Amino acid sequence: MSTSDGYILLILTGLPFVAALLLMLTPSRERTAIIAITGLSSFVMFALSVYVFQRYDWRSTEQFQGVLAWDWLQNVGFLGEHGIQIKVGIDGIAASMVLLTGIIVMAGTWVSWKVRQRTKDFFILLYIVVGGVYGTFVSLDLFFFFLMYETAVLPMYMLIAIWGSTRKEYGAMKLMMMLVAASILIFTGIFAIFTEANIGSFDLTRLYTAHYSREMQIIFFPMIALGCGTLGGMFPFHSWSPDGHASAPTAVSMVHAGVLMKVGAFAIIRLGIQILPEGAQFWGPALITVGITAALYGAISALRQTDLKLMSGFSSVSHMGYVFMGLGTMNVIGMTGSVLQMFAHGVMTALFFLLIGAMYDQSHNRDIPNFSGLAHRMPMWAIFFVIGSLASLGLPGLSGFVAELHIFVGAFRAYPIVGGLAVLTAAITATYLLRMMSQMFFGEFNTRWDMLRDVTWAERAGATVLVLSILAMGLWPSPWVERISTTLAQTIPGVSL
Amino acid sequence: MSMAMAGILIAIPASIFVLLALTWKMLPRGGDFLVVLGFLAVWLLGLGIAADFTKYFHEGVFAPNGANAFAFDWINIGDGLFHIQFSTWVDSITVVMIVVVTTVALMVAIYSTGYMRGEERYGWYFAALSLFVTAMLTLVLSGNLLQLYFAWEGVGLASFLLIGFYWERQSAAEAAKKAFITTRVGDVGLLIGIVLLWREAGTFDIQQIIEFAEHGGFNSTYLTVSMLFLFLGAVGKSAQFPLHVWLPDAMEGPTPVSALIHAATMVVAGVYLVARMMPVFDVVPAAREVVLYTGLITAVMAATMGLVSNDIKRVLAFSTVSQLGFMFVALGMGAVGVAMFHLLTHAFFKALLFLGSGSVIHATHEQTVEHLGGLRKKLPITTWTFCIGSLALAGVIPFAGFWSKDEILHTAMHDAPFAYVVLAATAILTAIYTTRVVLLTFWGEPKDHHAYEHAHESGWTMAGPLVFLSILAVFSGFVVFHSVGAALGFPGGILETVYTEEPELFHFDPVFAATAVGMSLAGIGIGFAYWWGDAQRAVRARAWAPELHALLVNRYYIDDLYQGIIDRVVLGLGGIVAAFERHVVNESGVDGGSQLIGWFGMRLKFLQTGRIPNYALAMAVGVVVLAVMAFRSA
Repeated sequence: MSTSDGYILLILTGLPFVAALLLMLTPSRERTAIIAITGLSSFVMFALSVYVFQRYDWRSTEQFQGVLAWDWLQNVGFLGEHGIQIKVGIDGIAASMVLLTGIIVMAGTWVSWKVRQRTKDFFILLYIVVGGVYGTFVSLDLFFFFLMYETAVLPMYMLIAIWGSTRKEYGAMKLMMMLVAASILIFTGIFAIFTEANIGSFDLTRLYTAHYSREMQIIFFPMIALGCGTLGGMFPFHSWSPDGHASAPTAVSMVHAGVLMKVGAFAIIRLGIQILPEGAQFWGPALITVGITAALYGAISALRQTDLKLMSGFSSVSHMGYVFMGLGTMNVIGMTGSVLQMFAHGVMTALFFLLIGAMYDQSHNRDIPNFSGLAHRMPMWAIFFVIGSLASLGLPGLSGFVAELHIFVGAFRAYPIVGGLAVLTAAITATYLLRMMSQMFFGEFNTRWDMLRDVTWAERAGATVLVLSILAMGLWPSPWVERISTTLAQTIPGVSL
Repeated sequence: MSMAMAGILIAIPASIFVLLALTWKMLPRGGDFLVVLGFLAVWLLGLGIAADFTKYFHEGVFAPNGANAFAFDWINIGDGLFHIQFSTWVDSITVVMIVVVTTVALMVAIYSTGYMRGEERYGWYFAALSLFVTAMLTLVLSGNLLQLYFAWEGVGLASFLLIGFYWERQSAAEAAKKAFITTRVGDVGLLIGIVLLWREAGTFDIQQIIEFAEHGGFNSTYLTVSMLFLFLGAVGKSAQFPLHVWLPDAMEGPTPVSALIHAATMVVAGVYLVARMMPVFDVVPAAREVVLYTGLITAVMAATMGLVSNDIKRVLAFSTVSQLGFMFVALGMGAVGVAMFHLLTHAFFKALLFLGSGSVIHATHEQTVEHLGGLRKKLPITTWTFCIGSLALAGVIPFAGFWSKDEILHTAMHDAPFAYVVLAATAILTAIYTTRVVLLTFWGEPKDHHAYEHAHESGWTMAGPLVFLSILAVFSGFVVFHSVGAALGFPGGILETVYTEEPELFHFDPVFAATAVGMSLAGIGIGFAYWWGDAQRAVRARAWAPELHALLVNRYYIDDLYQGIIDRVVLGLGGIVAAFERHVVNESGVDGGSQLIGWFGMRLKFLQTGRIPNYALAMAVGVVVLAVMAFRSA
């Protein structure tokens, strides 16, 4: 990846904001124009994301590629040389996350065209979130990293409170309060890093090479991990997630569970593990404990949920638990698994929310026991859902397995007992998903739902893109594994293989 | 023809699956002809590989590794540290499996074109069948454990899809779920076992793990634990006690599927896995003991359950579980060749029996033996082929089942006399329940006249495979003879060819064989005594011990026990956790936290009264306190 590709990263971050601006200038009655703007921009984002992922050269000795920087503020106050910069660039982890974002935004845009209420405003807010997400992934400046991070989080409140369903105000408020509270911890952590490094710069690549005392790392790593972890749905600060997802509209759930939660886990790697590796080593066992607890806790809770979206929400808590577990192993295999899981879970959870939305919009009912034999009425819908479920329960050949395998193996290298429990969780996952499927999809069709129709073309196209991504990673994981594992091995000092 | 052809063997059904899964609605006849032709090609290719394989013996080279022709890296982290390579591995065990899988698959595909005609999702059925064959061939050609796991789950998926083929029926959906979850429990063990082996040996390659184990690389306790975990996978897939519960329910699937997946191929994957890993099991005899006793318990237990089942397919399912138990006993004694021999003959005669029962069901739309009867006049081909299969199962000389079962008994006699006694008793039970099914179905008076009147033999697509398989059920046992093996190009009989680390020359022991045949005939005699004619004696026997009958009919209440555990323990735990989440984490933690802040706000706001005297008083108190503090510090 050459330096000029850095401009692509800039475009990628800027495009959603430009699209949002264009939408603001479009009259809301011009639906065609809204569809044209969002359709075109989301496709360009997707194409550029694929390009960026493809162009990232994992064989290169330089792990941060496409690096571009412009000074913004320097040599004033507490800022020294290159104090705050606009600096972009990606490593193998960010490359995978950029790809994930591109896929989900495109699918999410397609299925949101059916939003009837204030369509324009919806897309404006959604694209601000997307811009924030891309900005977080490509920023190599801590200041802008945090700015973009907050940009991605804040519009969620309105997106859920206005376009949501069921207890939407409650869900939106809970999500926002917990995430804002968590931001305080991140903020503290960022200033601790800035102060301790004592180079007067927020430049991440410079911060990586600075020296931090062991005590400082041990004190501040947990702040970063908890702060970012809350956004990642880390147990026991996950409770915003099932409620938030249950009340959010379809595309918001997709972007939120699919991408935004991954921003949380990504930030743990960027700020926590890559800057404070000794702190991460020290707290690794705690992270593993939290991860395996969340995995089991989420899976067992999901067993008893009757609301389809809540089940999916707890399933997310469980799957994100794997991510933290993998990070806690502090070996390359396990951590590679974490990033793979971020991608895999992002795609499959987006698929789930897309499909749940497709049904809920018609039935206004998500209670699992109310349904039976839906495969009869909505065959394509059922097929997509089954594929997503199989990926979720870790069937080889689909993305979930690749990720879970790495995490299991990493966990076995660190603590075999944890590895065993993690594999067991996969069996519980199979149980709640199969119970749901055999109740909802199979058996005799309940004629009460005669008015349901199968997925629309837009939904079908979105689901197809997501399913193809699931298959691609499941059958041919090397492109992801190579990028992620090389980056992890080379950017984290003292990490074991 | 070379070993590289093994890759094509997988590619053919794989491409048919992709094509059919996407386009079966558009293809004429749902694309069934593609599947039949494809499976024919696979069968010929499989035989070609078997023939090709014999060359290696003549050239004096054993364990030919065709791997390199098809090896590619799937995952490689840290330059070989975590390295998964997809490749094909062909040795004598593989060859036996290829012959079994491709032969039965072809027969089942042909048979299905008749049996499944007119089904709504006819093309999808064939697509799923291709998926199964793809995964099964990948499984038996796997050179490393992770690829094996990959395929292992793949056959599980195909099995799930096909058991649930009639998903509108709640019972079929439930059975598919039960099969998936039960085998998943085993798969958890398998994956743990694989990763544990990797953790020490640093590789997933089976031959390298074997080498590592044989050179004492593993701590023996560690290895025992790993192999037991691995074996748990085999227990789940091969429906052995205590994970046998899914197989009888799996009979909800279409009958040809039962023949292919739940009798001849997928369920023997566990046997294959243990056979494949036998050199490692040899290092830890304790683990092998577990294999032996698991097989023994399953063999006898399943046979007793088969004795009372009224569903023709379920009797065959219990019989399959029991026969798989025989194979595991052989493996437990380290006799890989014997186990693979029984696997081979059993696959043919059990597939025959299942397809025969399918023919009955197709003709009468009835599968409860108590409603059938007298069908021999209506279904002559089915009757006689079913009888051949039954004689093979009962172990009557010279049918195929006799030779392989005799070898297992023979080995047990020397290695584990206790096992011999149990297996001999089971053999008698086998003959009894087989005779019972044959008599109730094909002899006696028809009980359901409506079903009987309309019954007629189906076309050649169904009769052809029955005849072909019955020929195999008669003759396939002869591969045990040195001269037969040699005539086929192998160095000798199957026991000399498979698992050549311990080649055994087959010796025919007339006295021993006579005893075995005597036991089978005794069982058949008992069967006739109880169920011939109007089966009055059987009715009296049931009345004599109703509790025992109930115990067997309810499968020793093991299914109920598991259901209870899931309902009470697992879902109960789920309820507790969900309640904890709702009340403690949510209402007390998060909502409680916000309410606490609100409560403080409520209380503290009264400090702002808006009255000057209150503020003046507070100020005065403050001044005094500060003054006191200032003086003290001074």
